[in-house]
Amino acid sequence: MDLKALDDSRVQYLGKKGELTDLLKGLGKLSKEERPKMGEAINEAKVQIQKLIESRKEELEEELLNQRLLDEKIDVTLPSRNSEKGSLHPITQTLNHIQDIFTKAGFEIELGPEIEDDFHNFSALNIPEHHPARAMHDTFYFDSNTVLRTHTSPVQIRTLERQKPPVRVIVPGKVYRCDSDVTHTPMFHQVEGLIVDKEASFSQLKGLLIDFLRAYFEKEDLKVRFRPSYFPFTEPSAEADIECVICGGEGCRVCKKSGWLEVLGCGVVHPNVLKAVNIDSEEYSGLAFGMGVERLAMLRYSVNDLRLFFENDVRFLNQF
Amino acid sequence: MNISTRWLREWVNPDVSDLELSEKLTMAGLEVDQIAPVAPPFEGLVVGHIVACGKHPNADKLSLCEVDVGTGENLQIICGAPNVRQDLKVAVATVGSVLPNGLKIKRAKLRGVESNGMLCSESEICISEAHDGIIELDSKAKIGDDVRSVLDLDDQIIELDITPNRGDCFSVLGVAREVCVNYNLSLPALEFKANQKGKRAFKSTVSNPKECPRYLTRVIEGVDNNASTPDWMAQKLQRADQQLHSPIVDITNYVLLELGQPMHAFDLSKINGNINVRSAKKNEELELLNGQSVTLSEDTLVIADEKSAIAIAGVIGGMGSSTLESSTEILLEAAFFEPVAISGVARSYGLHTEASLRFERGVDFKMAGHAMERATELVLEICGGEASEINETVHAKSLPKLEPIQISIEKISKVLGFDLDPAWVESKFKFLDFDFKKNKDNSWTITPPSFRFDIRIPADIVEELARLYGYDKIPVQRLSVDANISHAAQTKINSNDLSSALVHRGYQEVITYSFISNEMHDLVDPDAKKILLQNPISDDMAVMRSSLWPGLIDSAKSNFRRGHHNLRFFELGLCFSGIEVEGQTQKIAGIISGNRHNSQWADSDREVDFFDAKSDVESLLNLSKREFKFEAAEHPALQMGQTAKIMKGDNHIGWLGAISPKLQKKLSMPKAFLFELTQSEIAQGEKPIYESFSSFQASQRDIAIVVSKEISSDELIQSIQSLKQNDLIDVNLFDVYEGEHIEQGSISVALNLTYQSKEVTLTDEQLAKKVSKIVGHLETKFSAKLR
Repeated sequence: MDLKALDDSRVQYLGKKGELTDLLKGLGKLSKEERPKMGEAINEAKVQIQKLIESRKEELEEELLNQRLLDEKIDVTLPSRNSEKGSLHPITQTLNHIQDIFTKAGFEIELGPEIEDDFHNFSALNIPEHHPARAMHDTFYFDSNTVLRTHTSPVQIRTLERQKPPVRVIVPGKVYRCDSDVTHTPMFHQVEGLIVDKEASFSQLKGLLIDFLRAYFEKEDLKVRFRPSYFPFTEPSAEADIECVICGGEGCRVCKKSGWLEVLGCGVVHPNVLKAVNIDSEEYSGLAFGMGVERLAMLRYSVNDLRLFFENDVRFLNQF
Repeated sequence: MNISTRWLREWVNPDVSDLELSEKLTMAGLEVDQIAPVAPPFEGLVVGHIVACGKHPNADKLSLCEVDVGTGENLQIICGAPNVRQDLKVAVATVGSVLPNGLKIKRAKLRGVESNGMLCSESEICISEAHDGIIELDSKAKIGDDVRSVLDLDDQIIELDITPNRGDCFSVLGVAREVCVNYNLSLPALEFKANQKGKRAFKSTVSNPKECPRYLTRVIEGVDNNASTPDWMAQKLQRADQQLHSPIVDITNYVLLELGQPMHAFDLSKINGNINVRSAKKNEELELLNGQSVTLSEDTLVIADEKSAIAIAGVIGGMGSSTLESSTEILLEAAFFEPVAISGVARSYGLHTEASLRFERGVDFKMAGHAMERATELVLEICGGEASEINETVHAKSLPKLEPIQISIEKISKVLGFDLDPAWVESKFKFLDFDFKKNKDNSWTITPPSFRFDIRIPADIVEELARLYGYDKIPVQRLSVDANISHAAQTKINSNDLSSALVHRGYQEVITYSFISNEMHDLVDPDAKKILLQNPISDDMAVMRSSLWPGLIDSAKSNFRRGHHNLRFFELGLCFSGIEVEGQTQKIAGIISGNRHNSQWADSDREVDFFDAKSDVESLLNLSKREFKFEAAEHPALQMGQTAKIMKGDNHIGWLGAISPKLQKKLSMPKAFLFELTQSEIAQGEKPIYESFSSFQASQRDIAIVVSKEISSDELIQSIQSLKQNDLIDVNLFDVYEGEHIEQGSISVALNLTYQSKEVTLTDEQLAKKVSKIVGHLETKFSAKLR
């Protein structure tokens, strides 16, 4: 029996011309005594029938719905439409991660040109013409006065030329060195940081960078050590090492068995640098730091070949 | 620089292990890259004496030896080395010993004869590559002694990475000084004094005293350069990676390593007349010690005799005047050259020498005399001869000045962020050999020693104190809170906004080199100015990109080659139209190719087309909520008829189009679509201003017209909008048809017009009137025919 048949039955008994309706109509022909009794019985039957029809109807509808659900069943594991996934380059993701950490600490982001003049890339950073550090920089030249910037540090100078202290900036960007082998690409990325303020000390620099490294590597007790080093534009200068994130400081191939990985350079800005931008080094102190983004990305994502970053193989890009 | 801890400990011997010592050096700023023993661990190698050596009965190339190893019973050992002979002291690996390569020595039979051990070569115990013969030990070595101690193999080599400011540490003396400062030890004063019996006068003069403020020479006559370099010296030189030459050259190298003072020895008999230090003459030629012939440039400082240049000052000697084993009279030289005069000279001739390395960074200007005495001592001891007096030319005014530096404890505390104890500070000054006095105001006036030419300003002193205190012990502080709120505008569209828009549309970001090949520049953007690198790494990286397309095309191509065909790449980066700041423009560009989707059950495949790329471009443009236009145009890299200029008002801000079939063929790549936008032009958004919306019903009316194909859809819509019809709130083109029933050269365009008034519900009559006005306009302006 389907819903249609059920409805036919309803009409047959309960409809305007239905059998029960007829019986009701016929009540008038009965005696006064019989009438209420009969009326009651008919109504009783009517209610019963209605009930039966209702419940049968529900049953039938339920069956119908179940059938529909069966018919409409799909394989929910089939792939969705348009599932192509895009991705940001791991270097960009690393840069974003670094920027997020510093901007939360009140740093502004500054950018600068990649083709630089000698003054901004070298002289103003206390790297005069015959300085041995120049030879170490393996510079690309356009003419004797114009280079591809060898570091993001020239943006320190450009920022201080434009803006009076207090200054608190980071500078992400591309830098270039005339060097290409397994561990060097002629273009890579750095993030530079600069703080110039009336009170800015080496211990604050230490505090800031330890906090940064722990945030970057998402490890609250990450061991960080500072070693004296040399950069022409800072004095005192330091390099920061973290416990090797590959072996946990036990000593492995990545950390050359030392248990430590060098991750950034930093220091108190050299007075000659402040002098180059007419800032009184008696009144103001500067703190600066710089880090190689590829190295940080390699450590974060366990990438073991620097060149992968610039080959743009989709099998690599897909993983980020 | 490689330095042996044994040698270092001859100078200063702190009571710590080599490992602790190397860690201390690292933490003091002399970074130890590596510390390694000169030989890997092994045991059981003893000194043996070959008491008899004869031929193996069954093998021509093998010898049968009887070796005394001090056990009372001689061992029979078979050896194949060419240099094995009777009476030789050798390194014997006895039965049971294990060589570094894992080889366990067992009693064995070789061609039927028993062998009870092995005579070792240097390569077998990993102390050098030498494997063409067995080790020949000193004839005085005691039979049965451990070879490790005889050859001093427990020595460790520290590989130091010395920063450019610490030229003073390029010697055993320099490192020893650092060790002293760190362990509060003192070095004895240098007191070298050679016996001086000779009477040979020799004149050396200096024409360029500014570049060479101090020049010392000394004649030693009657030397025997056939003598052999003593083992102790040879071993030290070899462990410092120095090759052995004749004793005279070895001695000058030894003094360089020991004291950091480069020296040179000339064969006096090959020098014509006196010596003069001068600039090279025009086109002057010199054959160098390494066999290379160079034409000297006029700004190169040379050592010259009366005929010609005989050495490049501070870099390398000449072949003609070099000492040979037959030399008997020599002229020793020790000088101080100004770092600026030497800097870059070696590099300009493609050289890098131990001397130039040190002179470029700065050599102690008071060391030449000590070094001369030290070298003389050694020559007399090893080669004999008689030394004459030292000829010294000094130009005091040109010597570096040791300027006093004033610093206070407050300044130190301010820079470091914590307080140092003044008594500790003074004790460190003492160990640093600083000459200091305390002033009335409690500050100090300090004069650094002559070897610390890197100490010039107060900050240098602060660094010395900080590193000796220990960077690790410096307390950690937080930056003070910066209450400045940055004025980042909400309407600013930054790189991340643009990138995420494309990433959400399935694009992958690539990063390509900013320099490209000449060829790619000429193919893709031939009209742009070519910015050339003077010293590119290769021809493929010679031109600064004017567009991001070459990099994107290359990335796509290399992935096509690997079989990936459905690609969507974008890149953000600077492009270059000049070398000045204004010539460097940040652009965002993309390339798409292949199918719209990876083949899939739900949708049928379709190749990407112009309008896919266009919608991606619009996803970027729409971020700024401003008006942009696409205009048909031509570009050398793009296909004619499928190229659009992207305009913001009258500003041309980018390109969109299909890669031209010609270029496609040249690069042998599939069809692709490219776009590029100048980022600054889409970086500023518009702040939305709310406008109240109508509560009356909107009405739609569709019209279809036939117009010439030459009329762009943009023209039609713009023209309708230019009528500024009241209540017309949107015009939408929803169908374009050409073909059957439409005249050749024409197209049918279907437009949907949306009307809505803010005051009333528009009646059919009112709407019909408005629509017919538009149709009338299109008929007159474009000869359009209503369908």
